[in-house]
Amino acid sequence: MDNDMSNREVLLKVEHLCQFFGSNKAVNDVNFEIHKGEVFGLVGESGCGKTTTGRSIIKLYNITSGNVWFKGIRIGAGILSYKEAISQAKKDLKEGKITSDECSAIIAENKKQIKLAKYDQTHCDKEYQKEQVAKVKAEYADKLKDATPELRKEYSDRLRKARKTKLVTQIQMIFQDPIASLDPRMTVREIISEGLVIQGEKNKQVINDKVYQMLELVGLVREHAGRYPHEFSGGQRQRIGIARSIIMNPEMIIADEPVSALDVSIQAQVINLLNDIREKMNLTILFIAHDLSVVKYFSDRIGVMYYGKIVELAPSDELFLNPLHPYTRSLLSAIPLPDPEYEKTRKRIVYNPLADHDYSVEGPTMREVKPGHFVLCNQAEYDEYIKNLK
Amino acid sequence: MENKLHVENLRISFRTSNGKVQAVRGINFDLQKGETLAIVGESGSGKSVTAKAILGILAGNAIVEDGEIIYDGKDLLKIDEDDFHKIRGDKIAMIFQDPMSSLNPIIRIGKQLTEAMILKGKARQKESKKLFNTYLAELKKAMIAAEANGNSEKAAELQLKCAQFDKFEYKHIALESEYNFAFESAEEALSDAKAIRFEMEKNAPTDISYRINRIITLCKRSIQTYVVNEKKNELLTAASALKSSVKSAKKGNYDDSISALSDIIAALEYSVKLPAPNFFCMGYYLTYSGKELPNMPIPELNDYLHRYLDENFMLDFIANAKQGLIYSDAKSLKEKREAIESLKSHKSVFAEENLNKKACYKALKEMNKEVMETVDPLCLVKDSPTYTFASGFKTELDRYFNGISKNKKEKRRFERQTAKWNRLVAKGKEPDWKVAPAALTDFDALKTIMAHQIDSLIEHYQKAISAETSRNFDAETVAVIDYLKEKASGVVLKVTKSMAKEKALRLMEEVGIPEPRKRYTQYPFEFSGGMRQRIVIAIALAANPDILICDEPTTALDVTIQSQILELINNLKRERKLSVIFITHDLGVVANMADKIAVMYAGKIVEYGTSEDIFYESAHPYTWALLSSMPDLDTNGKLDAIPGTPPNMIYPPAGDAFAARNKYAMKIDFEQEPPMFKISDTHYAATWLLHPKAPKVEPPKVITERIARMRAKKEANNGQ
Repeated sequence: MDNDMSNREVLLKVEHLCQFFGSNKAVNDVNFEIHKGEVFGLVGESGCGKTTTGRSIIKLYNITSGNVWFKGIRIGAGILSYKEAISQAKKDLKEGKITSDECSAIIAENKKQIKLAKYDQTHCDKEYQKEQVAKVKAEYADKLKDATPELRKEYSDRLRKARKTKLVTQIQMIFQDPIASLDPRMTVREIISEGLVIQGEKNKQVINDKVYQMLELVGLVREHAGRYPHEFSGGQRQRIGIARSIIMNPEMIIADEPVSALDVSIQAQVINLLNDIREKMNLTILFIAHDLSVVKYFSDRIGVMYYGKIVELAPSDELFLNPLHPYTRSLLSAIPLPDPEYEKTRKRIVYNPLADHDYSVEGPTMREVKPGHFVLCNQAEYDEYIKNLK
Repeated sequence: MENKLHVENLRISFRTSNGKVQAVRGINFDLQKGETLAIVGESGSGKSVTAKAILGILAGNAIVEDGEIIYDGKDLLKIDEDDFHKIRGDKIAMIFQDPMSSLNPIIRIGKQLTEAMILKGKARQKESKKLFNTYLAELKKAMIAAEANGNSEKAAELQLKCAQFDKFEYKHIALESEYNFAFESAEEALSDAKAIRFEMEKNAPTDISYRINRIITLCKRSIQTYVVNEKKNELLTAASALKSSVKSAKKGNYDDSISALSDIIAALEYSVKLPAPNFFCMGYYLTYSGKELPNMPIPELNDYLHRYLDENFMLDFIANAKQGLIYSDAKSLKEKREAIESLKSHKSVFAEENLNKKACYKALKEMNKEVMETVDPLCLVKDSPTYTFASGFKTELDRYFNGISKNKKEKRRFERQTAKWNRLVAKGKEPDWKVAPAALTDFDALKTIMAHQIDSLIEHYQKAISAETSRNFDAETVAVIDYLKEKASGVVLKVTKSMAKEKALRLMEEVGIPEPRKRYTQYPFEFSGGMRQRIVIAIALAANPDILICDEPTTALDVTIQSQILELINNLKRERKLSVIFITHDLGVVANMADKIAVMYAGKIVEYGTSEDIFYESAHPYTWALLSSMPDLDTNGKLDAIPGTPPNMIYPPAGDAFAARNKYAMKIDFEQEPPMFKISDTHYAATWLLHPKAPKVEPPKVITERIARMRAKKEANNGQ
């Protein structure tokens, strides 16, 4: 299973992603890849940076350092690492470790990188737009020679849309709180179609058709389009949020705790719905949640985050069979199960980073203990983990 | 076990612009001391409304239609706001669902935590004083009546004794608080020292100079005659060594600090294990013997002081108090006998064909007077039927007399509508409305209820009279003395700002907030959701309540925090003998917490039982649906979601409210409401599937398989 997953195309690649808010290192050097058609789960306690990771990917924040690649295009880039390299070079020069030529070479190289990163950070969508416009122009180049007025109209329509296309709209987000994430003064139709309108769709008929189609896809009916969000229950609101996110035909969805604000019976309905839609539209999902049973049920691979770092990353069955990192174990030991006898004997493992690791000699790095199973550890721990593998 | 809370036939509706929403439709439950009752259900099932009713914070448009909530002998639905102030927050505390809206955004966390503590401290001082004085006065009265027999000398002696008891309490409290302060400092210093030594051994201490200074201050505070006395010099030398090691520790050389810390830990560990002296006896000795305390080790000192107190005062006082109790009890029994006669004689007033309004209310007033006289002021357990009798009886009486005029109106309306209906039908039309049946007050039923109320009170008194000989007055006297001691300490125990801050910091640590000192001065918006909820829990616990209502306390939190908070609530429950009402929609979290579980749907309890009953032998289809709709770690296939949404409670459906979403629903489910079927002594469920004539239905496979799997796993574990 691992093999055919890793053979698939890499849709999203996150390299050394860092997101600092002042001195608060919310996300600190996170690396992972998401393959096409996969559900990647991100778990961890509140405040560990999982939501920030999702928001950084979708460019709600400008990232501090690292790269985000989507479909082979760099959509996000930070510059802190280059700046640090420059100051390091200057320091080394003072201490006499490198010559001044080497130093200026390093500085020039990094300055170039900074320029590139800044350009990519702000212009990736424009580059993509240019590409799309060129594509449309090429497609119509021959047809336009003896064009009918309809064809001309279609062409200008397509061109207008292509000019407003953004690469990032292919990643959509479902938010945690269905009440806060819907504008109370917009009807459901306006909420769902907003993306289409911004992209330049003017034909009311097309918009309506698309909205109805989405409503039916998420298990609502056409009549709901004219209502306002407050007229719906929590589960239905979350369905509206899902409909809004899939109307742009995205390739990837970032679902940020989509069910944790819902009732148990409604949670099951929404999870089933997400599963159906994922199969129908061949979606890739980054699933952020803290409920491990739901993540296990829903995801193919899981990354466990702790204070801004991914500490363990493995296929979901493997992670639950072989939890290696002490934090993962403590997370697993905290899952409540509907069984009183089991619950009375359940012992929660407490994770104390200072007591569980000894990084005084050697710091931890990400190491692969089994194909596809990575753990943040140093050599001594690595040897021990290998021994304990089932 | 002691019954803490009793809820009977509670009905609550809300007036809205669309009509009357029936939120709670007749629920009953009991809450024992030290027990957790979990109320499980979807949003809108009425679980939060029930909790709010218990706390007396229902919204303005709520109507309590019926029922009673008895706590400490009082019906919480009927007491006034002033009385509720004494209960709300202090005796019954609540943790709310949304930590965002239950904190004040513009007041620092520390202030919010300590505000209630300081206010309650003042109120408790006042109340303790009042209770202590009234109780002692009552006791004095009873003692004099029992023993003096008109002998004024004896009476004066007893008076003096009571006054003595009143006095020396204060001295020992001062000693005790001094000791507590030192002892707690020692304990805190010990845990802090251990933590920082551990971190130093691991090469990663933070905030060194502040923490070391703190430890040194605490060590100095802990030096007191009965805490750190023998080891005083060792501790002081170690502390000064620690202070001089700070500089090198800052540079990364921890050896000196570690050795100094180890010395401190050794000294403190020895001191913390010493027994506590008996301050109560000590206070008496110091007040009345006029001598210095003898210098001897604590256990012997305790013995000596205890003997001194017993010989000089306590044994006599206990004997006198016992006579007082016996006298007061006998008096109360006599009153009870009289009350039975009076109740019996008044009963006929309420049995007439047509009740006389004036006579009835007069009789009730007289009965109430008689009944209230039976209260024994020296009895520590409140006699709740006596206290609630009059108010409950008056409700029924009011209904009876209101019913007379209401019935007339209702009858007229019914006749008018029926006539209209008949006219239309006679014309050959088919009206699209129906005649609402007449809602008439059943006078006979009301009369039976009233008669029953009188009978049950008589029965209650008869029981008390027949149990007369079995009372253990020796034990009761000891309990009385303890009660007085406790109240007296309440009078002296003043909550100062610094004390409140210390307590708040400890609470913050207890609920798992890192760096509490830094957090103490922050505002709520600087906290994440989980942290905010911990603050809310800390605030609720600050008042040391009797009953804790948790309204979805962990829904907004993640697994580890949830698990920690559940453990926290469980531990607190065990330590403080708390009764907990735990409201949630997630059955998974209550498996460990709950002793009893009530599953609610559409304002009714549909299944009620112990945690084992609900998880292993659930009988109601709604419980099945709740259990099978969530994935666990072994779920693979499609989830069994419950289709649809809960019914609109403005028009509650006829029959079983869950029928529309129930795949096991039968025809009768849509027509008639199922009664509570008894499955075992502890397990009840309201579903027609339990009727003897119903077809046999097995619970869904998901559940039976999960139970089998868990059993197999457990056996495998036992085998190992």
